[in-house]
Amino acid sequence: MRAATPTPTIRTMHSNTTGRWPAVSKHLGPWLALLAMGACQLPLQAQQAAAPAQAAASAPARGMGSHRETSFPAIASAPWTGARTAAGQPDVEGHWSNTIGNHGNFTDPQGGQPGQRGAPGATNRPLGAREQRAPSRVSDPADGQVPFQPWARAAQQDFLANFSNPTKPQHIEPLARCAPNGVPKSFMWHGFEVRQYPDYVLFLFDSGSRVIHLDGKPHLPEAIKLWNADSRGHWEGNTLVVDVANANGKALFGRTGEFFSDNAHVSERYIFQADGKRFNYVATITDPTVFTRPFTVTIPVRRYTAADEQDGWNFQATRATHKGKEVILEREEQLCFENNGGFGLGGAPTK
Amino acid sequence: MNHRFTYSKCRSRVSGLLLALACVLPLASASAWAGGTQSAAIKIPRTADGKPDFSGIWQTTSNADFDLEPHAGRQDAPPGAGAVEGDSIPYLPAAFEQKKKNFEARLSNDPRLKCITPGVPRSVYTPEPFQIFQRKRDLTLYHQFGGNVRTIHTNHTQHPAEPNEWWLGDSRGTWEGDTLVVDVKHFNDVTWLDRAGNYHSDALHVVERWSYLDANTIAYKATIEDVKVFSRPWTIDVILHRHREKNFQIIENYCFTQPYEQFYPPKPPVEGAP
Repeated sequence: MRAATPTPTIRTMHSNTTGRWPAVSKHLGPWLALLAMGACQLPLQAQQAAAPAQAAASAPARGMGSHRETSFPAIASAPWTGARTAAGQPDVEGHWSNTIGNHGNFTDPQGGQPGQRGAPGATNRPLGAREQRAPSRVSDPADGQVPFQPWARAAQQDFLANFSNPTKPQHIEPLARCAPNGVPKSFMWHGFEVRQYPDYVLFLFDSGSRVIHLDGKPHLPEAIKLWNADSRGHWEGNTLVVDVANANGKALFGRTGEFFSDNAHVSERYIFQADGKRFNYVATITDPTVFTRPFTVTIPVRRYTAADEQDGWNFQATRATHKGKEVILEREEQLCFENNGGFGLGGAPTK
Repeated sequence: MNHRFTYSKCRSRVSGLLLALACVLPLASASAWAGGTQSAAIKIPRTADGKPDFSGIWQTTSNADFDLEPHAGRQDAPPGAGAVEGDSIPYLPAAFEQKKKNFEARLSNDPRLKCITPGVPRSVYTPEPFQIFQRKRDLTLYHQFGGNVRTIHTNHTQHPAEPNEWWLGDSRGTWEGDTLVVDVKHFNDVTWLDRAGNYHSDALHVVERWSYLDANTIAYKATIEDVKVFSRPWTIDVILHRHREKNFQIIENYCFTQPYEQFYPPKPPVEGAP
């Protein structure tokens, strides 16, 4: 008997043919989000080891789908010396994920997320010195804080104060309603895949996709505002330079409630390391409606390959079934729309 | 949820005479549409390795999504001659009763109204554009409606041995001459096939055939098999047209976000307000 109304199905944790980590081919739901919250505990454990930065980079902490490092290398813009696609672009196809944490806390990526500390079930270890955790994603200004105008800071603080126990619809994180993650938050969530074509770079995120147009066409008309905005890019040596317009500003930056408006303009630089193993995402955000000055976001990203263990978080690609011996990674369907509910620790679903 | 299904393979890798037939048959049907044009004379986009290159933005002009079967115009649908070979869908008796219930409730129960992905093959004839990005190893179908992404693998990989129930199924394609043949299965039972309540179960198995009629037109066929719902396999035919408007692009339409978009982002204070 088929149901006329879809029943929320959480298609998580099915075993794949290789018997490796379970694949998370999921519909994002509160259950999975709670797992994500659990993952946020890991940096606290990782930091207690107080591993030196380089050691952290070379021997990342592993655990419940977590990869965390407390510092990361700068990558200079330079000519590209690595592999190229048939169309001549630097070949950056494959599977990637950020290395410092998810969207739980924008300016203190390993500092836990709002409502976590003191909440039932939360691990309330002392955080320790700020220097032991990954730096703020705000790399400019130097204080690591978003240069909000006063009204915008108040709005962000209102979200933060109400995240765990939302009383108004705007306190609910849009991602919990399956919204696309937007710019720049998509780089603070699960791993993602890059596919390249002569006129496009395609980013397939866990929640939503971005098409980077390389063919020089103009941006969409200004009246059109989108969750994942409108992207025009070109390559400069090892750097994919992307101009982002038409953002609707609705996705927020994280569970700490930072945001920009539909007046934002973002200049992104994806600076790839020569060996193709890492890139730094460096984005300058300008929005005179919300901020007092432009500011820069930096997010470190690493590549995942067949040599990595699938971890259900940063690296979710599965191994294709085929007759050959080589490992072929493939991405499973990512769709999310039926779990329209409230969110936050203790946040009850809302109608 | 894990489900294992046993399917009778209606397609396997073919060779020799079979391959020759497989190459000729789609061309024969294509020529019926194209007024007898010989495919050898058709100049179509090709990839570096000589396969047809379906890269581009495509959309049907048919009314298939309103009702796959022939129908006169009605309040919720323009008229359409249907897109089903033989006109009618061969339902099993009990399934036909369900289809009639779906039809009666179509204005509230069509999953499209909740912005749920149209599934396969409906996503192909949904009246919104989709873009095909093509590599040697796969084709990526990026649909405007819902922002759905389907990968058709063309690298000789097989359906997973322990599949999930996917909204868009699991798509494995092979080239038979200039026709891309795609075997799609491992679906859930949530999506419908059109706005008129035609539906399927989780036993749905689709074999798609994609071939060029000319450089800007694709002949698309989908053979539908579902032993829980239909008495025999049946086939949908639609034509897809390339969007050639200047600077045309997919404009994301996640659709399901619309009810809550009003709540974000925070708004600046209005000047002059108390």
